[in-house]
Amino acid sequence: MTGSVGQFLVLLSLLVATTGAMIGFYAGRVRTKEAVEWARKFAYLYAACMIGATLVMEYALLTHDFRVGYVEQVGSRAVPMWVTIVSLWSSLEGSILFWGFILAIYIAGAVRFTKNEHADFMGDSIGVWLSCAIFFSYLIAAPANPFGLVANPPFDGPGPNPLLQNHLLMIIHPPFLYLGYVGMTIPFGFASAALMRGRLGAGFLRPIRASLLLPWCFLTIAIMLGGWWAYEVLGWGGYWAWDPVENASLLPWLTATAALHSAIVMERRGVLKGWTVTLVQASFLLTVLGTFMTRSGVFNSVHSFTQSAIGPTILVFLAAALLFAIVLLSMRIDSLEAEGRIDGAVSREGMFLVNNLLFVLLTFTILIGTAFPLIVEAFKGKQMSVGRPYFDAMVVPIGTALLFLLGVGPALPWGRAKQGQALRLLLPPAALGVLVAGAGFALGSSNFWTLLTLFFGGYAAHVTMAEMWSPVAARMKRGENVGTAVMQAQVRRGRRRFGSYVVHAGAVITIVAIAVSSTMRTSRELQLEKGQTATVGKYGVTFLGAEDRQEPHRLSTIARFRITKNGKEIATLAPRMNQYQTMREPIGSPDVYSTLAGDFYISLMNVDVPTQRVGISVYQTPMIAWIWISVILMGLGGLIALIPARAPRVAIASEPVLPGGVPAES
Amino acid sequence: MIVFVFLALLQLKVPDAQQLVGAPAGKKLAGAELDQKTMELSQILRCPVCQGLSISDSPSIMAANMRDQVRDLLVQGYSQEQVLKYFEQSYGQFVLLKPKFQGVNTFVWLLPLGALLIGLAITLVKMNKLDAAPAAPAPEAPADDPYVARVRELVEK
Amino acid sequence: MNKTVLAIGILITAALVAVFFLVMGKDPGHIDSPLIGRPAPTFTLRAVGSGQPLNLEQLRGKPVVINFWATWCMPCYQEHPVLVQNARMLGDNVQFVGVVFNDTEDKIQQFLNARGSAYPTVIDEAGKTAIAYGVGGVPETFFVDKAGKIVAKYEGPMDGDTLQSYVAKVMQ
Repeated sequence: MTGSVGQFLVLLSLLVATTGAMIGFYAGRVRTKEAVEWARKFAYLYAACMIGATLVMEYALLTHDFRVGYVEQVGSRAVPMWVTIVSLWSSLEGSILFWGFILAIYIAGAVRFTKNEHADFMGDSIGVWLSCAIFFSYLIAAPANPFGLVANPPFDGPGPNPLLQNHLLMIIHPPFLYLGYVGMTIPFGFASAALMRGRLGAGFLRPIRASLLLPWCFLTIAIMLGGWWAYEVLGWGGYWAWDPVENASLLPWLTATAALHSAIVMERRGVLKGWTVTLVQASFLLTVLGTFMTRSGVFNSVHSFTQSAIGPTILVFLAAALLFAIVLLSMRIDSLEAEGRIDGAVSREGMFLVNNLLFVLLTFTILIGTAFPLIVEAFKGKQMSVGRPYFDAMVVPIGTALLFLLGVGPALPWGRAKQGQALRLLLPPAALGVLVAGAGFALGSSNFWTLLTLFFGGYAAHVTMAEMWSPVAARMKRGENVGTAVMQAQVRRGRRRFGSYVVHAGAVITIVAIAVSSTMRTSRELQLEKGQTATVGKYGVTFLGAEDRQEPHRLSTIARFRITKNGKEIATLAPRMNQYQTMREPIGSPDVYSTLAGDFYISLMNVDVPTQRVGISVYQTPMIAWIWISVILMGLGGLIALIPARAPRVAIASEPVLPGGVPAES
Repeated sequence: MIVFVFLALLQLKVPDAQQLVGAPAGKKLAGAELDQKTMELSQILRCPVCQGLSISDSPSIMAANMRDQVRDLLVQGYSQEQVLKYFEQSYGQFVLLKPKFQGVNTFVWLLPLGALLIGLAITLVKMNKLDAAPAAPAPEAPADDPYVARVRELVEK
Repeated sequence: MNKTVLAIGILITAALVAVFFLVMGKDPGHIDSPLIGRPAPTFTLRAVGSGQPLNLEQLRGKPVVINFWATWCMPCYQEHPVLVQNARMLGDNVQFVGVVFNDTEDKIQQFLNARGSAYPTVIDEAGKTAIAYGVGGVPETFFVDKAGKIVAKYEGPMDGDTLQSYVAKVMQ
């Protein structure tokens, strides 16, 4: 019964999406109020069907209705309720349904928030969104149907993938990733509508920017959570292996970041319209590519779902979406490229252009590196690898250059900078840069790239703080006290500006923390007997003993260690080795003692319980916790920038650029 | 080393590296230099059981064995190229995380470089073009305002 | 109509779809062995139980099935009976050899006592032989023909049919 209701809702959503898409495109042509209104109604109806279907699935999971295919596959009476709830996204079919659920919420939200504005664009936007919805509804209805009926329902099921219960991050990572990925559909629809109309003004840029920024925030956090999960679970002391699935989540983030920047130039100067739209389209297309890479089983990855039948379907969707975007762009990009100009290369606009160049170059390089082994295999039939040494060699210089821009860009004024002026603006932050790099050197860093990163990081930090402070200072000069000045300048009026500098601050810390943690990590391999103590730097590691524990899906061997620092006990760590029935190799599960200064990380290499001997790897990594914290800061900064300003702002491009380079509040 | 002594005693023999890559062509390493080189090479070699990790990073048993083998070969005086070649002979180019700069692989190194150059050229041209453009026009009215659109339509007629 | 954008875009689409279409359905975990068609690396290793050295070269003239395994490998438990049964069935026509690494002799002996054995199992200290064969994980099996050439490799546990079809290849 439950299964049939779900099945019905999915089929209904397919019908509604198809009809709604047609109405949407029709509304885009005739642009009558009634037609757009109907398109909006169908968008809501689609959302209702999809949300309904997801709730039905949750109901089936919670009531252990093993007649429903997906419940039979992942359900179990033995697991706690929260595991049952999250098992919605623990396996392929459920996660596609969850995907549809998030798409539904986004579409309903986008329709709700645009209200009666942008009537010219809404028809086509809804048409594009619902076209994407057709695809996902089709996936849920046929190749990845979670509501399939089970002829002989069992009394109990196997429960979700045991790895899911291994770590909390495994549960919260997917929703963030989907919120980031799926959300890109909305700006894609808006941008497509702008292309279809053949024009794009400052007014319609606002919804594009906002709808891009929201999923950007989620994607930012999701990428970090993926890395954090790898760090906490995979046991090699690192968080990023340039794994295809990790790269897949990074690619749309890079183009979306580029688009958010080029949109600013477009807003200010009326240029780069076609380019901004191209980047928005690319961000969406890269999420589809990423979905394909994750779900089709063509890549070998720790994060990958195993081979599945939906690969070909996603490939068809990817090809269709690509062709749609390309034909649209080639037809309309010239009519978007409008009047407007920028002044000189040494200006903020100039830096924005270079910023875009670097982000796109980074996207291209990572895409080529990731896809290259497939290309060689497809055309030459040979296997080869492109891994960390390649990506490090390519990405580190580009990343460092971006950090340089992060400092220099905001320090430069809009418009042509005079030589002396540019120098005056750029010199003071260099002092902080030298200070930070000097501190790094004193603390033992000798890597060229790390020192350069520290220098640029200190530089950018100074610029960012100065930019955050300047509107406050301006108000204080006018006689406001600090409190009201901060309140007025950052919280009430300049949220967008303030938010973007919070993102910048987060980015500076992230890049510095990545550079420091990856080049100043130390690792040691130790062989210990029970009771034996080894000394690693300031730390002492005492092996307390190991035991086997038989668990339902795995055999765990747990070893316990007492950790002392300068002779004082600080923690007991218990890394484990898990042997799953279905896997060729045992999987280690490390344990970490984490502080802001650095992490102490133990991973089991081998363990022999009868003789009580262990081999462990010990990693000491400075600053790594800062990566998680600062990326969250970036996401929060994005959200701050997203909150709309109270009063509608008009005619931004007419704001004067103050002499002396203090930018107007924006 | 203990392994070798042990093997010699029983006249046991593991497959010989010399058959595959010729006589050792480098100098015998020891001490810190050995550790350093072992580490460097371990970061280039891919662990075959794990997914995309180097044998230096991987906690798996196979990776540990391969690290030991790298070290043993370096101790015996095999050069860096020979060590990589040794692994390539049994695992193929799959085992090299850093693609060799030869044949079709050159593209993976050169394409980003080409993209950088083309990108720079386009950016410069674009900057010049925009710089030379007539002074910025009056701020564009929000074009999606239906009223303005209507006015524009009438004017353009 | 911007022809440049159109041309570049269609090129990218075609390339992407072609590449993905061609590689779809292949197992990404599979490593092609460059050793296929080449002489099997020779080894002399100590057999479990007897302690006698076993030299691969002395087995020339007969097809050899070399199975890499370990007692810490779960799928090996599932594969072992298949190997033993087939080794008994094929008798003198095919020589089976088990190669174990990163294990202790006690554990191997226990395993064999409990689950039966029909062919010699040798100990590969520190997995050096496995590395020379390009072994990714265990179990992994190599099929060597009469002349000592590697004909095929199989990753993961085999069932009876798979094993027999590969053995047929080396018997020719």
